[in-house]
Amino acid sequence: MISSLPTLSEPQHFLFQEKLLFVVLAAGSGLLFWRRFSPILTKILASKRDADFRLFPLGRRVWDFFLEVVCQAKVIRQRPLPGLAHAFVFWGFCAFALVTLNHCAVGLGIGFLDPSGWFGRFYFYFAAAFAVACAAGILGLFVRRFLVRPRWLGDKLSWESGFIALLIFLLMATYLAAFFVADTSATARLLWWAHTITLLVFLPIIPHTKHLHLVLSPATVFLSRGSFSHIPPLAGDEDFGLVAGTDLTRLVSLQAYSCVECGRCTEHCPAANTGKLLNPKEIILGLRSYLNECGPASAEPLLGKYNSQEAAFECTTCGACEFQCPVGIEHLPILIGLRRGAVNTGAWEDDYGAKLFLALERGSNALGMSATERDKFIQKQELPYFDGSQEFCLWLGCMGGYDPKGREIVADFVRVMKYLGTSYGVLRKEKCTGDPVRRLGNDLVYQQLAEANLETMAQAKVKKVVSICPHCVRTIQEDWKEYGTPPAIEHHSEFLARHLSQLPTVQSQEKIVYHDPCYLGRYRDVYEEPRAVVSHAGQLVEAPRSHERSFCCGAGGGLAFLGEEKGERVSHVRAAELVETGAGIIGTACPFCNTMFRDALASKGNGAPQLLDIAQLTARALPASAAPTTK
Amino acid sequence: MKIVVAIKQVPERDAQVHIHSTSNWIEEEDMQWALNESDAYALEEALQLKEKHGGEVVVVSAGPERVGSTIREALAKGADRAIHIDCDDLNQRDALGVARLLSEAIRAETPDLTLTGLQSDDLGYGQTGVILAELLGLPHASLILHVEKTEAGLTVKRELEEGWFQTIELPVPAVLTIQSGGNKLRYATLMGIKKAKTKEIRRVTSQDIGKVAPPVVVLERISVPQKQKSTQILGGSPKEAATALVEKLKFEARIL
Repeated sequence: MISSLPTLSEPQHFLFQEKLLFVVLAAGSGLLFWRRFSPILTKILASKRDADFRLFPLGRRVWDFFLEVVCQAKVIRQRPLPGLAHAFVFWGFCAFALVTLNHCAVGLGIGFLDPSGWFGRFYFYFAAAFAVACAAGILGLFVRRFLVRPRWLGDKLSWESGFIALLIFLLMATYLAAFFVADTSATARLLWWAHTITLLVFLPIIPHTKHLHLVLSPATVFLSRGSFSHIPPLAGDEDFGLVAGTDLTRLVSLQAYSCVECGRCTEHCPAANTGKLLNPKEIILGLRSYLNECGPASAEPLLGKYNSQEAAFECTTCGACEFQCPVGIEHLPILIGLRRGAVNTGAWEDDYGAKLFLALERGSNALGMSATERDKFIQKQELPYFDGSQEFCLWLGCMGGYDPKGREIVADFVRVMKYLGTSYGVLRKEKCTGDPVRRLGNDLVYQQLAEANLETMAQAKVKKVVSICPHCVRTIQEDWKEYGTPPAIEHHSEFLARHLSQLPTVQSQEKIVYHDPCYLGRYRDVYEEPRAVVSHAGQLVEAPRSHERSFCCGAGGGLAFLGEEKGERVSHVRAAELVETGAGIIGTACPFCNTMFRDALASKGNGAPQLLDIAQLTARALPASAAPTTK
Repeated sequence: MKIVVAIKQVPERDAQVHIHSTSNWIEEEDMQWALNESDAYALEEALQLKEKHGGEVVVVSAGPERVGSTIREALAKGADRAIHIDCDDLNQRDALGVARLLSEAIRAETPDLTLTGLQSDDLGYGQTGVILAELLGLPHASLILHVEKTEAGLTVKRELEEGWFQTIELPVPAVLTIQSGGNKLRYATLMGIKKAKTKEIRRVTSQDIGKVAPPVVVLERISVPQKQKSTQILGGSPKEAATALVEKLKFEARIL
């Protein structure tokens, strides 16, 4: 039982031999830790500098650190139960920092937390509360890893993790047990030694296991590039992306060593979930193996023995991995970096890819059609040309200008703008924004397209752009910044949501399931606007995976133009999920999602739900007088 | 194997073409230019031969300053060096005049093989390569899809009408005009473009090459094709309509 005046866990009066033994063991443990950790640190620091890295402004970094590290917000929000268990272990460790320092000091006879003083007493009880939570948390995590075994943790059981869990549990148990024995007893001494040895065994295990994240991930989160899928500009004439070890930057190396192998990236990856070779976790671990075996000065290619080129080109750049990662790994700059390395040097050979690149080297659009087709569409729809007097420049994009379904979306959006009396005009010529080549890593063609378009827009004095395509919106707003100052741009969902009160509504109880496009949701943080538009047109139904956890349609990252050869089709998996909600209409907000689902639903036959863009959902309610001029 | 590829810069496929006020040429201002398609295949064939057998690929192009961008593109795709025959009056020369310019530059190179596209996408004479062979006094074959180097010289695959092919052998040196579609074209890479900066582009002026006789063929007038639609709706049952369609395809369109 707890004594009436608890002496709180720290025995006194160690023998000199005991003190000496403690010093020797502690020094040995510390040395072992350093011997394993210093090569890692050296490799990170020996990596290439991140040319565009800026430490300031600090506000964003401090805020991210506070939310993601201190509050464990992402860990908890995205996986509430295991997240909370992890948070308790983490907070337990933080609370224990002072206790552990004192614990070691006691071993040297210079303990500073006075158990009889108010602070010492408060703190020991405070830490005890965390110790209980931490022990419960680690027990929960142990049960999950070894009994529940979710498949994204991998097929191989990590005995290391079990051993570490045991050590953490022992640390807590030995701390708590000491509350029940008198300071002077032999048991107290035994407990002190048990706690000490557990601690000293734990320390050197950290650097060569995934528990390295204890040391690195706070720095990784703090130093991350911050903005989602930020693709760093190439630095100098010798930089072609991630080709070999010499191209690994400090941030990439730090992130490779920070991976905690939790598998959140794998759990949400559309490629990994449909039988492709790509597993984002393995990409990061492949880089880590590369660093361990070859180091950052190596000329050995990054794609080859350690990571597969095929896997790197299966990424849809949906960004679910980067969004989910709790330790600040930025998967997209890495995956796209590997693609840049392969494409910019000509190492990637793919018939579809080469066809797309050649189409965009010479022509204007990713569909490989003649630019006159766009002119014909503009004439047929009687779209006015942008002359500087209109409020909006309507950006058609490849899908809006050339794809039959994309054209229908544009036509309906134009009807809505006409109804609202919004003035708009289209550019006389447009080239692809460069989105597919940007994501596939072709910097040469991407730069040509971005520069040509920026010039066209500057000449036409474009100030405000609206587009039906989230890929165009993202590329224009964020990616073009590398080559100039893009005009302000918004997605049509934002435009429509702002004008909803002026638009007629259908009295319909029709169920509409809304699919979040990756490039609108995770990339742009626009979730509610399209939902407002859908709710205006019918009854909004949510898919099982929605908002920031939405599952990709399979088109992103240039993959709409490549052949998806392995496993199930991503679009079919997602379409089936949307159909299962029982909704009569699938509402989309991206012409690429639309085209992917159109094909997927075609295989379902007549019973398939209708597929409509939010612009089409809105246009349905317009009076007949606002009917399209031509079909 | 030393291979020379003669290439031409032509208006980009998507470019909007306006006829010049002289009505015998197009407005060149604001025009986007690209490498002639069958020349791109000739270059690809040369690069693949070089990759297999070693040697050198030299590109030759005649035209004004702007041709430089197309030459750099060829260097970026893997050609080793280039000769730019600087002349501002390319569009006033006939195929013989252009072939003369090219032949003078190529003769000095003494290549084992000279390749060029079978025709240009703008004027489409299909003559330059053939006349070039004549001026160089070399054997030639046209409409080539594939080239193989043999002990004795070359084995080449020619495209004939109606899906027929012909395989012929010929000695080197030789001149071949290449048909589009025989290979898969490689895409230009950033690394290629950067490397191209350090490659040699030798500029010669048309005067250096010698006086050229006035053209035999003069381009008098060019015009935009008149659009005409002649859609016919075939009535009756699907079976009748299909029969009528087959009739028309056979005897009117003569494509079956």
